[in-house]
Amino acid sequence: MTTAPADRPRIPDAITDPLSGRRISLLDWQAANRRASWLLAGFMVLLLGGIGYLVALAFDPGAAWTFIVIAAVMAIGQSLAAYWFSDKLALAVSGARPANKDEHRYLVNVTEAVAIGAGVPMPKIYVIDNPAPNAFATGRDPRHGAIAVTTGLMSILDRQELEGVVAHEMAHVKNYDIRFASMLAATVGAIVLLRDVILRGLRFGGRSRRSSSSGGGRGQAIAMVLLIVLLILAPILATLVRLAVSRRREYLADATGAYITRNPDGLASALAKLRDYRGTPMQVSEGVQHMYFTNPVAKLNALSWLATHPPIDDRISRLRRM
Amino acid sequence: MTTIVVLVILAALVLWGINVYNRIITLENRYQNAWSQIDVQLKRRTDLVPNLVETVKGYAAHEKEVFDNVGKARAAMTAAKSVDESAEAANMMTAALGRLFAISEAYPDLKANQNFMMLQEELAGIENKIAYARQFYNDAVLQFNTVITTIPGNFFAGPMGKTKHVYLEVPEADKELPQVSFGATPA
Repeated sequence: MTTAPADRPRIPDAITDPLSGRRISLLDWQAANRRASWLLAGFMVLLLGGIGYLVALAFDPGAAWTFIVIAAVMAIGQSLAAYWFSDKLALAVSGARPANKDEHRYLVNVTEAVAIGAGVPMPKIYVIDNPAPNAFATGRDPRHGAIAVTTGLMSILDRQELEGVVAHEMAHVKNYDIRFASMLAATVGAIVLLRDVILRGLRFGGRSRRSSSSGGGRGQAIAMVLLIVLLILAPILATLVRLAVSRRREYLADATGAYITRNPDGLASALAKLRDYRGTPMQVSEGVQHMYFTNPVAKLNALSWLATHPPIDDRISRLRRM
Repeated sequence: MTTIVVLVILAALVLWGINVYNRIITLENRYQNAWSQIDVQLKRRTDLVPNLVETVKGYAAHEKEVFDNVGKARAAMTAAKSVDESAEAANMMTAALGRLFAISEAYPDLKANQNFMMLQEELAGIENKIAYARQFYNDAVLQFNTVITTIPGNFFAGPMGKTKHVYLEVPEADKELPQVSFGATPA
């Protein structure tokens, strides 16, 4: 049933920070996460601006601003596109169809209940016909939230476990993780696009007429080397940062989900069932793997720089300790 | 010069006061709104009850006491005026429905009835939503109570006529009977 205020110690409103190992309140952690998000977004913009500037130095110092503006426009354009269309795209790619009240009464009831508990508007609910248990959320803010779950998930979880998963997904929407992740992914995409354009330009155009004729050769050569190094490193660095954010936010969503349901054990046992699933895995394209409840590719739930999600066992033990 | 300083301080004080006042009103609205969430679910449950009783009667007509209890709870529910009365009637209803679903375990034909299964899931869902709505309500009340009993809210609460609000408690018997009788069969 519900917990009366007398039972409050059970509520996981403080969690252990994975970085410092200290106990901090959920709200503080949410705020810190939001600050880190904006810092990161600023860093990405600077990185793009820097690339634009180096391009200008290497090719045509007179037009520095043109290049910086082009880089910024690309990044902003990609981010805006992600802001408006990422949810529709994600749902279309996953083959999700809208749930209907008669066929999926159970799921609809569970989601409505969790939404009431979380104090957010009822999200749209989608079903993916797939035997592998998984779920994801999308939507740029709680008013545009959507949650998709696979038929496999509904068939192996009991009510409390399903509530846990739905609450975890709702937490992503409530914490604005989706918006941030999709905009970050778009910026990384812009960097990669920029790299490809410039590298192609280098290969075909060779050194520009100006650089071979004019005297500023040395400065331009340094800029060129820096540019190439940055162009090779930037996408890698940006991707690593994006993955680090993704892993951190899974912990936060678990904690928020446990807080919403007041039941960390439901979520923990759902995670255990997904870990032990041995059927056909879900085929999910790389671009959307990070959105799922656990990464459909089992080895990408790991303590690794390349993983999108933390190890499932670690998530379970954190929940059990709440 | 001094007049300007005094005016600035006064303006800041007024703005601060407005801020605290608004915070108290916002939190009060939040818990009142949270109550209406519960109320919606209670009404939906009350509406489903006659249908459920009819269905069960078709298989277990002799379990008169159980039907009587459900009927009484429903009457109390419809008659309830205040939050307290509603809460009490709602607890009665939860207990009565719990009994009804418990006896239905003994009737395999009833349990296989499509309509009954649908109603059972629907009522389990509502029961769950009530639990969540109650949790949200208690959270909202806790926030309200905290603000009006701590500085600076406590200076305002008296003149505004705001006092600590009570939590919705769950009856002890209710806690011991977590949704066991409400089968969690996926639709």
